[in-house]
Amino acid sequence: MTAAAPVAPLSVARPAPALAAVRLAKSFGGLKAVTDLSFELPKGGLHGLIGPNGAGKTTVFNLLTGVYKPDAGAVHVGGQPMTGKKPSEIAQAGLVRTFQNIRLFGDLSVLDNVRIAAGVRARSGLWRSLLRTPLYLREEAEIRARARQLLDVLGIAHRADEIAKSLPYGDQRRLEIARALATRPTVLLLDEPVAGMNTVEKKAMRGLIQSLRAQFDVSILLIEHDMGLVMDICEQITVIDHGVTIARGAPASIQSNPAVIEAYLGVPDEPAPTAGEIGA
Amino acid sequence: MTKFVQLLLQTLTLGSLYALIALGYTLVYGILRFINFAHSDVVTFGAWIAFAIAGALGWASTGSPVFAMPVVMVLAMAASAALGFTIERLAYRPLRKALRLNVLITAIGVSLLLQNAGQLQALFGKDPVKMPRLLSEAPLFKLAGVQVPWVDVVLVVLTIALVIALQWLVFRTKLGQAMRAVSWSEQTAALMGVPVDKVVSITFMIGSALAAAGGVLYGLKYRQLNQTADALWMLLGLKAFVAAVVGGIGNVRGAVLGAVLIAFIEVFGAGYVSSKMPDLFVFGVLIVMLLFRPAGLLGTPTVEKV
Amino acid sequence: MSARATPGVAGAALRSLYPIVIGFTLAYLMQTVVAVSIDDYYSKVLIDIGIAIVLGVSLGIVNGYAGQFSLGHAGFMAIGGYTAAAIVYYGSIKLFGTKAIYGGSLGPGELLLCAGCVAGGALAAVAGWLVGQPSLRLRGDYLAIVTLGFGEIIRVLIKQTDDVVLSEKKVAAASWWSLMDNLGGGFGFIGGPRYIDAKNPFWVWLFVVVVCLVAYRLKYSNRGRQLLAVRENEIAAEAMGIKTTKAKVSAFMTSAFFAGIGGGLYAHELGNSMRPADLGFQKSIDIVIIVVLGGMGSISGAVIAAIAVTLLPELFRSFAEYRMIAYALALIIVMLLRPQGLLGLQELWEVEWRAVGRSIVTAPARLVRWVVTAPTRARAALKAAADRRQEDRS
Repeated sequence: MTAAAPVAPLSVARPAPALAAVRLAKSFGGLKAVTDLSFELPKGGLHGLIGPNGAGKTTVFNLLTGVYKPDAGAVHVGGQPMTGKKPSEIAQAGLVRTFQNIRLFGDLSVLDNVRIAAGVRARSGLWRSLLRTPLYLREEAEIRARARQLLDVLGIAHRADEIAKSLPYGDQRRLEIARALATRPTVLLLDEPVAGMNTVEKKAMRGLIQSLRAQFDVSILLIEHDMGLVMDICEQITVIDHGVTIARGAPASIQSNPAVIEAYLGVPDEPAPTAGEIGA
Repeated sequence: MTKFVQLLLQTLTLGSLYALIALGYTLVYGILRFINFAHSDVVTFGAWIAFAIAGALGWASTGSPVFAMPVVMVLAMAASAALGFTIERLAYRPLRKALRLNVLITAIGVSLLLQNAGQLQALFGKDPVKMPRLLSEAPLFKLAGVQVPWVDVVLVVLTIALVIALQWLVFRTKLGQAMRAVSWSEQTAALMGVPVDKVVSITFMIGSALAAAGGVLYGLKYRQLNQTADALWMLLGLKAFVAAVVGGIGNVRGAVLGAVLIAFIEVFGAGYVSSKMPDLFVFGVLIVMLLFRPAGLLGTPTVEKV
Repeated sequence: MSARATPGVAGAALRSLYPIVIGFTLAYLMQTVVAVSIDDYYSKVLIDIGIAIVLGVSLGIVNGYAGQFSLGHAGFMAIGGYTAAAIVYYGSIKLFGTKAIYGGSLGPGELLLCAGCVAGGALAAVAGWLVGQPSLRLRGDYLAIVTLGFGEIIRVLIKQTDDVVLSEKKVAAASWWSLMDNLGGGFGFIGGPRYIDAKNPFWVWLFVVVVCLVAYRLKYSNRGRQLLAVRENEIAAEAMGIKTTKAKVSAFMTSAFFAGIGGGLYAHELGNSMRPADLGFQKSIDIVIIVVLGGMGSISGAVIAAIAVTLLPELFRSFAEYRMIAYALALIIVMLLRPQGLLGLQELWEVEWRAVGRSIVTAPARLVRWVVTAPTRARAALKAAADRRQEDRS
């Protein structure tokens, strides 16, 4: 009897993931910051990227957003290859981030911060702006309306005319998110969104982040150290250490994964005065 | 062949001058990450104060004793070191934590102040003067048919001596260690107990002293001292700055290497290509360097943390 | 469609361009009413103020809005000035047969002047594009040095040109291409018809209005806010999708264009010297001072500073020797005490005047308190320093 010819698997049309990293690698001099990193963020998903300090998480964000060019591997946003493109191109394609150390437009007003992001895809160039053509005026009105609406949703509309750098810390983080959302992203990368917040603020943020998906039709990937938040809201978590993926899966499996526990033991940042984060 | 050796000699002397001035730029940049716009004006000050000192000590005419040059040199370097200290203390230290741009503007202000105050009748006046001949222009020896004057020899030898002394200071003394620590990370150095303010002050003083040495030697070689706001001084400083950038700003050896390179380009460019626009070559080199290798030949590129 | 569309288009056009109409009116009034009723000397000072405004506000676009510190503005001014001078002088001879002032107010000669200035601006804008290229890779100090170098390169290149052709016959016979090399060399562009004088300030004021209008509309527009974003935090701006490279180059080009126009106006003002030595680094610094003192990014601030910087030397003519020293001290003191300048990014009408009023009213009381507490504070500072020294020793 002849051996059966291998049957090609049925190819099922599958929607492209909102964000996909394929075997990303990056070294700085001799230091291997990220090695063989792959993951997929499906449309509408909320995933987490965790690891001890120095694991390479922000480097991953920088690779995804085009700040660094990967030494190897690829980045796809909504199925489109984005490897090696400039950050502004990647942002225009729908992948937008917030920063670990807040990077607001400090001397400008809160409203302006959001308006700037809302206007990145405006078509009116220099001439139309100077001549104040009807198209330009329409776009300006739309930008202003959308910006105000976002400030409302994020709960900082009452600070619209204040200078961004004078805002309290929690509101600054909210402003960063409002600004990112103003660009109408498909994928939102949040870099330590609750860092430095107290329990009350964190609870509010938790609810906010979860609601973003439905409200703004975005997929979210977040870096965080607060295990309580991560385990609570993320559907899938990737754990990296020294740039290498050591685990990936649902929160429950991550919590009991010996490799993770060995590399990085995190405890939920809840009221009980238990041990803080080791290795942080 | 004679022309070649002539140009080579010119390269050495000009390169030495650039090296002394470039070292000041590079030391300050290494420590504070800041381009001291007013540095070239310390060069000018050094030259003029030397002239004033020579005059005050009665050595303005020919026939001055052999020790005149060293005395004038040392006094001028000391005076310039004091000037550098004062500038740093009053204008730059208060802005240690300010935006880099603000410090640059302040430096421009200091530069303008030195230039224009120096021209006041009360100080150095508006007329160009001639530096007294404290170093002989008589030939010391002949090389391939070219007369090598005393001035040139002293210039190059003195520069080499100062550079060696600086190398020793930066790499083999505790102070040098402190300087290097501060240049790596001001915060960490402070946490380790390094008196950052003192180290910065001393660095400025050393840089200013070297600048003065360059200015004095320039005066002794070329003799004509134009008024302090004359473009000639700014050009001299700018070219030395280009040298520092080319070598790798922040790198001591780089400054010397860059200085020789820039002098070479300028001298041989004027000698063999076109004598009309030597300055243009130098500017061109600067722009090319900053575009393609801003860290310079011996520098290490820095990456901004995102 | 057409019957309803035309009023719409006309309405839109009016809304776009009505400030230009105001500009024409203002310039016309300045010429016909103001210039005739005040002394020639004051009129000339006003013209100098106008040109300073054009130069200062234009520098504010690249230094203030985009945050790219340019020290080579005089280079753009020179390009514009020399281009305009060449076009007006040689063009006058070729078109009108004379190198003297031709035609009256808004006559063919003056239109040639306007064309020359605009052409000068356009050429300066090309140079602005060129200078903008290195800006893409350089920050802060380095960019400043490169722009400084650029300004000097322009000056050196102009110095190399040949003398201005004085014979009208020779000019008429020569081709435009060959005349491009006759810009006066080290002596500067001499012999051109100086259209702008105390009795004829029209064009200066027209362009003042245009520059301020452009700067204002740019600042309060989406593109302008993108420039401000680049100034505030370039990495964040890029991360939001702003094409920062395009933005920076565009800022350089716009700024250079108006600097070129300013240069063209300057070149045709009676009494100004057009020597390359006067259009070098010193001139760039003069303009930088306007922007730093007035506030980098404030149009009204630049206007106020331009007025001050032009008026003060006139008022204190006997102290001319100390002018640059005063400016130098002003720069240092401003950076130490009030780095944002007079208005920072704000405009005059955005200032919280009530707060300013309050601080003025309470100033005497605050000053008294400062003086009275000085000894206590001094003692505390000395003690703190002594404690620190004690700690270092232990």
